[in-house]
Amino acid sequence: MTPLDWHPTDEDLTLHAYRDNTPEERAAVDRHLHECASCAAIAHEIEALQHLASAVDVPEPEAGFEDAVWARLAPALPHRAAWPPVRRPWSLRQVVAVTAWAAAVGGIVIAGYRWNSSGIVTPVRQPTAVATAPSQAQERVLLTALDAHFSQTEMLFVELMNAPDDAAGSLAFERATADDLVQSGRLYRATAAEAGHRRLTDVLDDVQTVLTEVALGPEKPGKQDLAAIRSRIEDDDLLFKVRAVTNDIRDRQQQPGTNEGAL
Amino acid sequence: MAEPTGRFPARLIPQMQPDDTMLVRQAAGGDQTAFRLLVDRHSRSVFRLAFRIAGTREDAEDVVQETFIRAFRQLDRFESRSNFGTWLYRIGFNCAIDFTRSRAHRETAEPPDVLDQREDPAATPTGHDVVYAGQISVQVQRALRALSDQERTAFVMRHYHQCSIDEIGRTLDLKTSAAKHAVFRAVRKMRVALRPLVTSQGEGM
Repeated sequence: MTPLDWHPTDEDLTLHAYRDNTPEERAAVDRHLHECASCAAIAHEIEALQHLASAVDVPEPEAGFEDAVWARLAPALPHRAAWPPVRRPWSLRQVVAVTAWAAAVGGIVIAGYRWNSSGIVTPVRQPTAVATAPSQAQERVLLTALDAHFSQTEMLFVELMNAPDDAAGSLAFERATADDLVQSGRLYRATAAEAGHRRLTDVLDDVQTVLTEVALGPEKPGKQDLAAIRSRIEDDDLLFKVRAVTNDIRDRQQQPGTNEGAL
Repeated sequence: MAEPTGRFPARLIPQMQPDDTMLVRQAAGGDQTAFRLLVDRHSRSVFRLAFRIAGTREDAEDVVQETFIRAFRQLDRFESRSNFGTWLYRIGFNCAIDFTRSRAHRETAEPPDVLDQREDPAATPTGHDVVYAGQISVQVQRALRALSDQERTAFVMRHYHQCSIDEIGRTLDLKTSAAKHAVFRAVRKMRVALRPLVTSQGEGM
């Protein structure tokens, strides 16, 4: 067979360029390229692509990168043996975005109520007449949003707890829902923290960690992945916490101080 | 400047593999300092692979964080006969893929005007662009971003990290033939996208 009795395909030439073919195949392709200008042109283009791709700059992390990674990472690592329980931190990007949002609306939104140490929402005892109207309206908006947020979270957790292992491949919707909840949860958490509502902040933190795991987890989680998520939900009593907070919010919505017609 | 395309920290692996294995064992037992050392050794390499797939420094940093969190959770599954670097980068690739998918979901949920303000990753390089050598990197990045997640990951693994087709298949959960074709498709699309650069370089010779 002469070199021109056949022509390598694009795939053959790609394998050749990356040396993924056998020595015999390489020799045959080399002989052919020596004789065939059109195939040689394609081979040249693939080589040029390789050259260009290798020229891509990847920014080198700055000095102290490892320290910065660890500073973000250490608080986010799950509890293991002697390690203290820790929470996932926010990235600098998220902190900036949420801080800007919280600065705009955070300080005033929850001003109409307080979250006492037992987790029960109670109204501020003596609001001024001037401040009451706007703060009540803002409070209603927030309570409604929080109610929806925690209700969706509860439904998601229930679905995850009850999903059959062999249905793990169909969790795309749950991932998308978790991702949405992560985004909104950051804002609520920032607002709650800004207003000093420690318990609400803590619950949002606990929930956020699992939601993030689901959102960024594999689209087709294995049994072990699902088991890990379920274990997290159970170990941290997340369903109980979410239901408790939801009840508190709904109780608050029923209180006379709120305008139920607007809810 | 062209980055060395050597396999994951190839120069480090031979002498560090035993140490890594020991550190994994210690970290799995609750030794925070051991895990910190693993982070110190491998975070830059994970950053590089994450950047190539995620496309931005900020996203790559998020991927680095998520990669080590997942690795930490799975330390018990690490088999000591394996290479920790290879094991970690496989997690890193999967994190990067998941991250880009998650990002795509978030972006499609944004209002059209926000999306319109972003750079079109598939934009064809113009003649003006290719005049500038510094634009090569930008155009290659654009071409990479225009690939599907699967194609981009396959290309990055094969081209930048010299992963075998089998390794690519295992990471992407593909059969060997499908992994091979993911590389083929990526190369073909990259060739088309970067043809103006190849042509202009050829003309300049």
